[in-house]
Amino acid sequence: MVIIHMTCSLLSYAAFLVAFICGILFLVQERQLKRKHIGVLFHRLPSLMALDRANLIAIGAGFALLSAGLAFGLIGSKVLLGRWWISDPKTYMATLLWAAYLVLWVMRMRSTLRGRRVALLSILGFSLVLFTLLQASYLLSSAHPYL
Amino acid sequence: MHIVLLGVNHRLTPIELRERLAFRSEQLPAIFARLREEVGLQESLVLSTCNRVEIYARVPEVNGSVDRLRRFLSDHGGVSVTELAQQAYCYTEPQSIQHLFSVASGLDSMVLGEAEIVQQVKRAYESAREHGATGKVFNVLFQRALNTAKAVRTQTGIGRGSTSVGTVAVELAEKIFGHLGSAVVLLVGAGKVGELTLRRLIDRGVKDLRIMNRSLERAVELTERYEATPVALGRLEEQLVEADIVITSTSAASYLLSRADVELAMKRRHQRPLCLVDLGVPRNIEPAAGCLDNVYRFDVDDLQGLVMHAHRERQHAVEASQAIIDDKVDRFLAWWREDADACAPLLSEHAAAR
Repeated sequence: MVIIHMTCSLLSYAAFLVAFICGILFLVQERQLKRKHIGVLFHRLPSLMALDRANLIAIGAGFALLSAGLAFGLIGSKVLLGRWWISDPKTYMATLLWAAYLVLWVMRMRSTLRGRRVALLSILGFSLVLFTLLQASYLLSSAHPYL
Repeated sequence: MHIVLLGVNHRLTPIELRERLAFRSEQLPAIFARLREEVGLQESLVLSTCNRVEIYARVPEVNGSVDRLRRFLSDHGGVSVTELAQQAYCYTEPQSIQHLFSVASGLDSMVLGEAEIVQQVKRAYESAREHGATGKVFNVLFQRALNTAKAVRTQTGIGRGSTSVGTVAVELAEKIFGHLGSAVVLLVGAGKVGELTLRRLIDRGVKDLRIMNRSLERAVELTERYEATPVALGRLEEQLVEADIVITSTSAASYLLSRADVELAMKRRHQRPLCLVDLGVPRNIEPAAGCLDNVYRFDVDDLQGLVMHAHRERQHAVEASQAIIDDKVDRFLAWWREDADACAPLLSEHAAAR
C-alpha cells in the first residue's frame, strides 16, 4: 500500500516536471515569436501548439497520478494507523498541491486559460511540488521522514 | 587524366548569353554523343539551369580537349569563341571538383544555400548516366557531390531560415501551430505578396482557405485557382473566430482590425492562438493587437527583418561549409589517385599484350 502510494506520488511529480519543462520551453519560444527575434533555439524547439498540448497531457497525467497517490495514502493510513487523516505538514501541502493542479487543469480544459499563462502556472506549480517534496525531509518534522 | 569544367554562371555572364548557351533536356542524348565522338570526352555531364550552364568532362589531356570543348559550346550557342573565352570560366582539378561541390551545396547560387540546386545536379547526373555519358570516375564524383551537399546542409546553417517574406510567414506559422494541415487560413485583399504567401501555405499542407477581396472578380479568380472559399466583405468578425492564420494585404487607409476587435475575437475563440500577418502598408491591423495573449502579429518590417537575419546567418555558415567541401574534395582526389594507380599496371599489361 505504502509502496503504491509512494510510486504514484513520485510519478506524479515526474509528470509535473515534464509540464514544468514544457512550460519553460513554451515561454522561450513564445518570447522569440513575440519579439520577432530568432535565436539559436528557434529552429530546434517544437511549435507552441505542441508544447501547449504536451503541457496539458502532463498536467492531466500528473493530476491523475497524484489523486491515486493521495487515495492510497488515505487508505494506507486507515489500514495501518486506524485513522483516515494524519495531521502532518506534508499532507496539507500535498492536498494544496492537488487542489492547485485541479484548478489549473480545469481552467486549461475549459480554455479560460491558455498558452503563456498556463505555462507560467505550471512553472509555479512545480515550485510547489519541490517544496512539498523537500519540506518534510529537511524543513519541518513530519510523519513522512522519507522523500 | 583530368577533370575539367567549362561553364558560365549568373555571377559573370548576363542572361542574354546564358540563355543562348543553355541545353534543353531533349537535346541531351545527341549532345552527349557529340561530346564523346567530336570533342573526345571520356566522360561528360551537362548542368544547365537558369543560373548556369556547365559542362564537366574527363579528358586524357587538357589543352586540345578544352579548345575543342570551347569550340563546341560556342558553336552550340552561336557565340563567337573569343566572346565565350571572355565570359566562360574553365577549371581543371582540383578547382573543377571544388567548384562542383560548392555548386551542389548551394554556395554558388544566387540565393545562398537554396535547395533546388541539389535536385538539378541530381537530374543532370541521372540524365548523363542514362545516356551512357558517365563512367566509373564520374559516377563516384557526382555521388560524392550530392553526398557533400547533404553533409553541408545538415552540418551547417547554410540552408536554415527563410529567404522570402512568404516563406518566413509560413515558418512562423509553423512554429505556432506545428503542422498546418488543419489550420484555417483567411486572406484579406488579394495582392501579389499575399498570393505568394498563400501558395507557400498550400505547399505546407493548408487545405481550408478563405479569401476576402473588394474586387469580386479577383476573388473568384483566386478561389478557383486555389480551391478556396470566397468570403463576403462584411464577415471579417465571424471569420476571425474560425481562422487560425489571417493574412491582410489591403491598401485601406485605416485599420481593418483594431486591438478591440481582436480582443473580442480571442474571447470568442476561447484563446486559441491566432497568427496575424499584416502585409499592408499602411498597416491593416493595429500593432497593439500583437500584445494580446496568444495573438502573434507580424508586419512587413518584421518579416523583412527575419529575411535579412536568415541571409546573414547563411553568410556565417559559408566558412564551415567550405571546410566540409575542402575535406570532401581531398577525399575524392585520394580515391581517384588510388584508383588510377590500381588501374595503371592493368593498363600497361594490356598495352604490353597488344
